[in-house]
Amino acid sequence: MTTDKKQSRTNHQPQNFFDSWRNQVSAAIRFSLRRLWYNPISTWITLFAIALALSLPAGMHLFLKNLQTLTDNNRQIPTISLFLHQETTIQQARDRAELITELSEVEQVDVITKDDAIDEFASITEFVESIKTLGDNLLPHVLVVTPKLNSPLTMGQDIKSLTDKLQNYVEVDTVQADIEWVMRLQRIIAIADRITWVIGILLALTVLLVIGNTIRLDIENRKQEIDVARFIGATHAYIRRPFVLGGLWLGLFGGIISLVVVHLAMLSLVPKVNALSNTYGGQFTLTGLNFSMTFVILVISGLLGIIGAWLAVSQHLRQQKIIL
Amino acid sequence: MIEFHKVSKRYPTGQLALYNVNLTLQRGEMAFLAGHSGAGKSTLLKLIAILEHPTQGDIIINGKAVSTLNPRRIPAYRRKIGMIFQNPHLLPDRSIFDNVALPLRIVGMAKHDIRRRVQAALDKVSLLHKQKQYPMMLSAGEQQRVGIARAVINKPSIILADEPTGNLDPELAQDIMYTFQQFNELGATVLIASHDHHLIEQMQKRIIVLQKTEI
Repeated sequence: MTTDKKQSRTNHQPQNFFDSWRNQVSAAIRFSLRRLWYNPISTWITLFAIALALSLPAGMHLFLKNLQTLTDNNRQIPTISLFLHQETTIQQARDRAELITELSEVEQVDVITKDDAIDEFASITEFVESIKTLGDNLLPHVLVVTPKLNSPLTMGQDIKSLTDKLQNYVEVDTVQADIEWVMRLQRIIAIADRITWVIGILLALTVLLVIGNTIRLDIENRKQEIDVARFIGATHAYIRRPFVLGGLWLGLFGGIISLVVVHLAMLSLVPKVNALSNTYGGQFTLTGLNFSMTFVILVISGLLGIIGAWLAVSQHLRQQKIIL
Repeated sequence: MIEFHKVSKRYPTGQLALYNVNLTLQRGEMAFLAGHSGAGKSTLLKLIAILEHPTQGDIIINGKAVSTLNPRRIPAYRRKIGMIFQNPHLLPDRSIFDNVALPLRIVGMAKHDIRRRVQAALDKVSLLHKQKQYPMMLSAGEQQRVGIARAVINKPSIILADEPTGNLDPELAQDIMYTFQQFNELGATVLIASHDHHLIEQMQKRIIVLQKTEI
């Protein structure tokens, strides 16, 4: 009895566990990749369905990320501009700036003298000549105040009370706080961000179902093969492997196509955005997908493929019966 | 090697396939399973391969009760059994070579070992020259021999065959029976279900006749 057991073991497992596992996995990888092109049209359709489902949330995420850069020139904190009276001297402006810096609500104060201002103005517009004809520099000195913000929630109130305080200084002519549109934009972005999440989750489920169903159909088509493999002694893991890998490839390749789609869509936007941003002084450049974002999309799409395929195969294997 | 103790099998449809079967097959024995169609020959073989479970009784294979086998161990158990059906169940989209290689791929054997053993097995059933062809291109007898090569490639200790010569002309059938005899001489326990009295009497082996005597 024992000798027979030993003999049969050497017969059936002539190599160590790791070697046979490696042979099985490499065979499954080759097989599943070849299998993908067994029916190229349906594979491409599936891949594009997955890619489109993934590119919508990825594209929206990119759009929001770009919108956010509009508001975070100063770490997302809006600034308050103090336009001083014409007769204020540079020294008075600098002294006032120093005093304001002392305030607890203030992070930083930058002084833009009228000379700086006209230089900058000249550099971004074509009206240099006409400005010069005006003779005296009529621009005021400006103090740019960056408030210290504790919480984005109380930002509105904080900035309101600070502007009221700043308004009372004698040198100050007018106070301009660009908070209204920044706050509004931030709220819109927050809502859009939530919408992106919801759409993203729904479309991730779509990808899961598409891949799960594709693998399920594949299993249907290969039922005989699965049954034959099982009665010859294939383990569940062995049967599951090529299908799960098939799901992984669908997810991964779908993810890659979606990245291409998003990238192409973005390229088509670049000239339009540049044209728009030029009218604002040309500081804005469109941000593309960075490395970590690319990585995250591919990991998610790959995982969705694996999970979808796993569910489909497990569902099939649970119906234990082998019918020959 | 194979023991049946009062084994009965009733299918969920209510059909009684086996009733109170007692049977013992020694290690290295070769025997035929006879009885008219519907006597439960296929069911008996399927019970040994755990493709079906008995409703009553014990089946002991190699000293171990099959019913106590952990489901996770069933694949490893099946690898020690080579089973051949009347329809050889070849995979139509794989070459003859790949069909025969399947059991070795399942255990993760290295490529060069697979080639060596598949070619040896195909040579034994005289089909080495057809290894690159597909099942549809082969005659029924050749397909059956491919099925046999696949069943024995893993050197199983038990070979079960269910009407392996069902569709073949007498000469081919004889050939295939002699192939089984060769495997038996190499040490395998062989059990063949067949309703062809003429053929199995020629082989001069033990014949087990299944009769259903329901009380």
